[in-house]
Parts: sequence; structure tokens; C-alpha cells
Amino acid sequence: MRTRQWFQAALMLLLGLYLLETLLTGEIAYYINERFNWLAGVAGFTLIALGVINVIALLSEPEQGKEAPKGAPNLLPNAPSVAHGVSARWYVLAILSVPLIFGVFLPAQPLGAAAINNSGVAFSLNVSGAGDQAFSITPTQRNVLDWVRAFSAATSVDEFGGQPADLIGFVYRDVRFEDDTEFMVTRFTVSCCVADAVAIGVIVRSEQAASLTPDSWVRVQGKFEVRDFAGQRTPILIAESVEPTAMPERPYLFP
Amino acid sequence: MEFSTQLSLFSTRFLGIFIEAVSFLLLGTIVSGLIEVFVRKEDIARLLPRNPFAAIVAGSFLGFLFPVCECGVVPVTRKLYQKGLPVAVGVAFLLAAPVMNPIVFASTYAAFGFGPILIGRFVITCIMAVAIGLIFSLQRNPIKMLHPRALMAMAGGSGAAAPQPSAPRLSVGQGIVRAARVATDEFFDMGRYLVMGTALAAGMQTFLSQEQIRALASDPSMSAVAMAIMAFVLSICSTTDAILALSFANFGFPSGSLLTFLTFGPMVDIKATLMYLSVFKRRVVFYMVILPLLMSLLFGIFINLNVRF
Repeated sequence: MRTRQWFQAALMLLLGLYLLETLLTGEIAYYINERFNWLAGVAGFTLIALGVINVIALLSEPEQGKEAPKGAPNLLPNAPSVAHGVSARWYVLAILSVPLIFGVFLPAQPLGAAAINNSGVAFSLNVSGAGDQAFSITPTQRNVLDWVRAFSAATSVDEFGGQPADLIGFVYRDVRFEDDTEFMVTRFTVSCCVADAVAIGVIVRSEQAASLTPDSWVRVQGKFEVRDFAGQRTPILIAESVEPTAMPERPYLFP
Repeated sequence: MEFSTQLSLFSTRFLGIFIEAVSFLLLGTIVSGLIEVFVRKEDIARLLPRNPFAAIVAGSFLGFLFPVCECGVVPVTRKLYQKGLPVAVGVAFLLAAPVMNPIVFASTYAAFGFGPILIGRFVITCIMAVAIGLIFSLQRNPIKMLHPRALMAMAGGSGAAAPQPSAPRLSVGQGIVRAARVATDEFFDMGRYLVMGTALAAGMQTFLSQEQIRALASDPSMSAVAMAIMAFVLSICSTTDAILALSFANFGFPSGSLLTFLTFGPMVDIKATLMYLSVFKRRVVFYMVILPLLMSLLFGIFINLNVRF
């Protein structure tokens, strides 16, 4: 009986194919920072190569050709072939199938506004990183991350008053947004994988704010004014237009 | 919150951590397979310093030779044990390697620049790993600390793939096939702990609130405890945790607490702890969690209270 060894080889092939598939469809952008994409690709090909080598070995080896472990006779009472040790037990195979089942049967979805409420990751206006490089980008070309970096790197936020901005993000609101005219245009930054996702955003003032569904993606164009927000001098984007837009192919920003 | 929303959040986090970590685990198992086939027991005995203290210090620097994070280090350590690496040296390697390697040096440098955090991270990690290695070297019968299965190749049974220690050198082609089959075994054996740990980490991120933990930032000792808890729960790869630590710095966490996060996290987190169980007995794993915890807290709180950068 080598069903389990065959299943093991198949599982590696399928996991490898799944990794390559998320890369090809671009869904990988929902999970990890793009600078690790090549690593997922290498992992995919490695899994497929391992699977193929195992299949070849299974085809070319005799059924029960291997000696039992001399020093540890009671460790694997249920394993007819010790060639694969504990690793080919059914429960191990079942556990390793879980990522495949989640990946294949659940629709891939990036983190959204719900993830902020739930994990309690407060958005911060103090995201680190190279603040200086944000200044070298033309204001209308800056994304949410560039602006947040620029705000924290600036000696005084007053210098942002009157600057134009053109931003894409999802709509987020919490208790600090008292009236129906404010929301935040928000993005997640992902340094490594979604486990370290941090939500950041720019506060927007718009008459349309009340009609916007939380978590929906919008493109906001307008000019900054520096005002008090929750007791702090904060650049607030006064919207000239807010239009619904499709979620970008890469929903997260990669610092 | 609706169940479907939570399930979707859980699934995204679970797959995110899994995809990231599985690549590193695979690299670790491939290295492990190559060690199995191409490194002989005599090589280890020949290269390692005779003096136990020197050997443990060497073990904590071995990460510069095998650059692995905490997902990849476990299969490599287990394989080195099968090749006769002393247990205490392996402990020092296991605890230190996820930090003491060129990749982590680069990522910590990228996040914090050359300064107290970078130096502190490497110095404290090295001290902790050597100290814990020395404590483990006091054990008279170190083999008893290991899980029996971790030593199976020594007994001659880790598989079709395991050549006997005295076996003649293989051709490169044969060697690669054997290495691949060893890597397969390791991948499934470690992978089950990785999947369980990933599910736990994703579950905690989805179902627990981190707000209270972050609220502790201002207290010198509680903030270090909070960082240790975050390090354990988040299970972030050591190659990139520096970037996250930087975001904690912006929440007001002091440098000592960040160092607790940066030294404890790579040694101990949910998925690493589960993977340790495939190498060590349960009681030993307990010490391998509690000793780094206490030491990293001690360093972190001491720095918070006494050192101004």
C-alpha cells in the first residue's frame, strides 16, 4: 500500500501549482509584499520538482524494498513502509492539505476595512520609512503612503496647505469622524506578508462622505487644508471630486 | 462581525503567512537534504572547536554559514544533530541563527540604520543564545533532550534517502535525488507544525484585539511584556520583523521593548515553538521558550529604565 506516498507526491505538485497560479493571476498581491514574489515562485517550482522526483522514485522502486529502522522499532507501528517515516501519515497529509483547501475553495480577498476594526490596528500618521524620498515625488503623483511619510517627515504640517492630491483608497470611518462630511481614504501597507499589515490613511472632507459605503474603493481629488483634527494640526484633503473606482490590482502599498 | 467576513480575514492572513513562510521552510528543508547527503559526520567533528564554550559560540555564529530564518532553521538543526552536532551547540545555533545572519542584518539595517537597535539586536541575541547553550550543556546526557524521532537517521532509518554514515560518497545525480527525498520528509514533518502555527497566529490576529497591548506602550516594563506577547502571537519572519518593529516605534514603544521584540520574536513564536517539538522533548521546549522570554524581558526592561539613546 503506497496510497499515502502517492497522495504526498500529489499534494506537493498541487501546492506548487497553487503557488504558481496565485503568481500568474496576480492574487499573490493579496498575501505578500511583491518583493517576495520571486521567492513564492521558487517555492512553487521547488515543490513541483520534489513532487516529480517522488513520483519517479515511486514508479521505479519495488513495493516493500526498505529495511526497518533498527533503533526505533516502535515509533511507526502503523507505517507499512518506513521509507517516508512519520511524514506520510494520513493526519500529516490532512494538515498539509488545509492551505490548499483554503486557497482553492475560498475566494481570494484582500484585507479591507473590517480588518482594521477587528485587529485594532489603529491607523497612524507616523509610518516610518524614507520620508525624504516622498518629497521628491510630484504631489499629484503621491499615493497614501507617500503623503503619510511626507507628513511625518515634515518639520511643520502647515507647508502642505494648498497642495493638490489625487488618491485612491478604500473608505474608512471610526468614532473620531463625528460628522457626515469626513472619512479616511485608506490603504494597507504590507512589509512582508499580510500578518504585518498596517492601515494608513489621509483624512478627507467631502459633502458626499455620508453616501459612501465603508470599504468601497474611491478616487479622491482635491487640495489640502491644515485644520485641527482630534486636537492635532492635521492636513485634511478637501475633496473637489470623489468617484467610485475599482479596487487596484495591488490593493496594498509596499513600503 | 459576520462569520463570512471573519472567515475571509482569517483565510487571507492564514494564506499570507503560509505562502511567505513555506518558501523559507522549503529552503531550509533543501539545505537539510543537501547536508544529509553531502556533509559527513567526520566533517562536523573536524570543523567544530573542541572546547565546549568555543563550540557554543561558534554555533551561535553558524547562521552566517547557513542563512535561515526561524522556519528554515529547525530542519537544518535537526539534520545537523543527526550528523553528530552536540546538542548545546545546536541549541545556540537554533536560537541565534534566525537573527545572526546576513539577511536579517540587512533588513534591520534598512529599518533602523547603524545604531543602538542594530548593535543591541545582534549582541543581545548572541549573549542569550550562548547563555542558553551553556545552560543546556550542563545536561549530562544531552541526547535525552531530543525527541527520539529527531535522531532516527542516526539509528539508520530516516528513510530511503538516508545513507548510512559510512556509506560511500554518491554521484551528484544520485545525491540530488536522495536530497530531494530527505527534503520531502522534512517538509511534511515540519510543515504540519508550520500549518498549525500559522492557523493559530492568523486566528489570534483575527479574533483578538491588539488595542490593549498597544495601550501599554508607555510603561517601561509592561511595554516590554507587550512586545514579547506581540512577537509570540504575530509569528512574523525574522527576516522582516525589523520593519514592523519600526511601526511599533511610532506607536511610542521604547527602544528596550523593541529589542525585546527583535530578540525574543526570532527565537520563539507560535510556529517556531510548534516546530521545536519535532526536535526536542516537550519539557526542553518549555525551557527553550521560558529562558529566552525571561532574558529578553530582562534586557529590554533594563534598557528601558537605564539607557537613554
